[in-house]
Amino acid sequence: MFTAIDELLRPFYTHLTAADQCYFLREYTSGRGFAHSETNRLILNLKKAPDRRGLMEWRYKERAVEQVAREFRASFNLPRLRTVTLVPMPPSKRKDDPLYDDRMLQVLHAMDEEHQLDIRELLLLSESTTAAHASSTRPTVDALVANLGIDDAAAKPTPASIALIDDVITTGAHFVAAKRLLTIRFPGVAIRGFFVARRVFADETA
Amino acid sequence: MQQSALAFRDADDFVRGLSPFLEMGAYEWLWAQSGVTFEKLADRFRARPDALPSDFVPHDLARATARDVVATFAARGVQRFGLAINQTYEYPKALRDARHPVEMLYYLGSWNLVETNAIAVVGTRKPSPDVLTETAALVQTLVANEWTIVSGLAEGVDTQAHETALAAGGRTIAVIGTPISEAYPRANADLQRRIADAFLVVSQVPVLRYYQQAWMQNRSFFPERNITMSALTLGTVIVEASDRSGTLIQARAALQQGRKLFILDRCFHDPDRKWPHEYVRQGAIRVRDHAEIVEALRDVHRNR
Repeated sequence: MFTAIDELLRPFYTHLTAADQCYFLREYTSGRGFAHSETNRLILNLKKAPDRRGLMEWRYKERAVEQVAREFRASFNLPRLRTVTLVPMPPSKRKDDPLYDDRMLQVLHAMDEEHQLDIRELLLLSESTTAAHASSTRPTVDALVANLGIDDAAAKPTPASIALIDDVITTGAHFVAAKRLLTIRFPGVAIRGFFVARRVFADETA
Repeated sequence: MQQSALAFRDADDFVRGLSPFLEMGAYEWLWAQSGVTFEKLADRFRARPDALPSDFVPHDLARATARDVVATFAARGVQRFGLAINQTYEYPKALRDARHPVEMLYYLGSWNLVETNAIAVVGTRKPSPDVLTETAALVQTLVANEWTIVSGLAEGVDTQAHETALAAGGRTIAVIGTPISEAYPRANADLQRRIADAFLVVSQVPVLRYYQQAWMQNRSFFPERNITMSALTLGTVIVEASDRSGTLIQARAALQQGRKLFILDRCFHDPDRKWPHEYVRQGAIRVRDHAEIVEALRDVHRNR
């Protein structure tokens, strides 16, 4: 079952307002390694960089994709999900970058066992960026919007509602940027964010 | 209202989700009703295993109650706290082994410590110097073997267990019998703070109920937390306890939950004491050498 980022958790997310509907499954602890928790293992395996492809460890990434797909399936009302357009958040690298990693698209396809889901790569990245989790400086929402585009080829028919799918919500900036761009293109269409995990700090509630 | 933008338990929605604010308020509202016990609440959820607290409470009441909880905590200096709620992925399935499982826990600190290999060390609140010395030696052995030390922050053995774990550079979790906004005994407020800062403090105590009722009624929260402590750990070690000690609640819980129960040899020395022998008959392990505990637990390490 998903947990909503509601009035209790929203203070941790500077970019989110009460109008932003974001949900997560797990809690990923920042700055700690694989050994810290089951969720840390899952997320770090899911994010394993494409240059590890072909190595023995790559199977852990494939298993992480399958696990996340299973947990998403269990946390959505599947018959209702068929009317929703599922959009993976673009990864930090462009498709022509050797480090391009379409892990969330893989998750969505793994979820779609009955081939009845509307999965669309609506969002495209203009320029490759440093992965958010590996960078100390964070771009503004305006800069994130400026680096995003909509793939016209995937824009029709107009979605009834949109579910943005991503791995970790850290501050909410990427979600807010994507939502802003999509809202300009599809006014009035409800957009919600779904994440494998929210980022927490080990001492967040201490 | 913008809050209603989040739709919950709507059969037409494509999301299966919960709002922690709403569930906290609903859980606290259920607890604020007269005559509620962990057993009665657990019975309600047993009858409807997929239900959330908010399925039993009007949502406007749950939200108002949640605002009360937040204000109650804030007035006592707790601005941020964590919740572990049943049916989410961060709620440990092990908690369901309790006879009357709790639907929600409050915590301060790093929740993921519940995933580590954890063992409870508990015992009398009035220990002799020998008992304190043995508690320290036991905890040092367990810490040296990478075990997380779980105890109840009570005076005596519990305090010694936490302090020794901290001093030895180990991990420690306090499962307390008060809300996270209180410390009991008061003398342990600093210890509780240090454990929350570096590790984890857990409480199942409903906050509003606690502050509404008299101290005498709140006393039952202490033995209840021993049942949760057992469920959160792979085993319990009893260092020393009299025949009528609350520690024995945890001994029974450990056996009932299928956890390892260790009883230190000193508990067997009083010939009039019946409970150690009775629990050994039920599967507890009499421990003459602390290393036996580490050995006995070698095979029950969590699959990590």
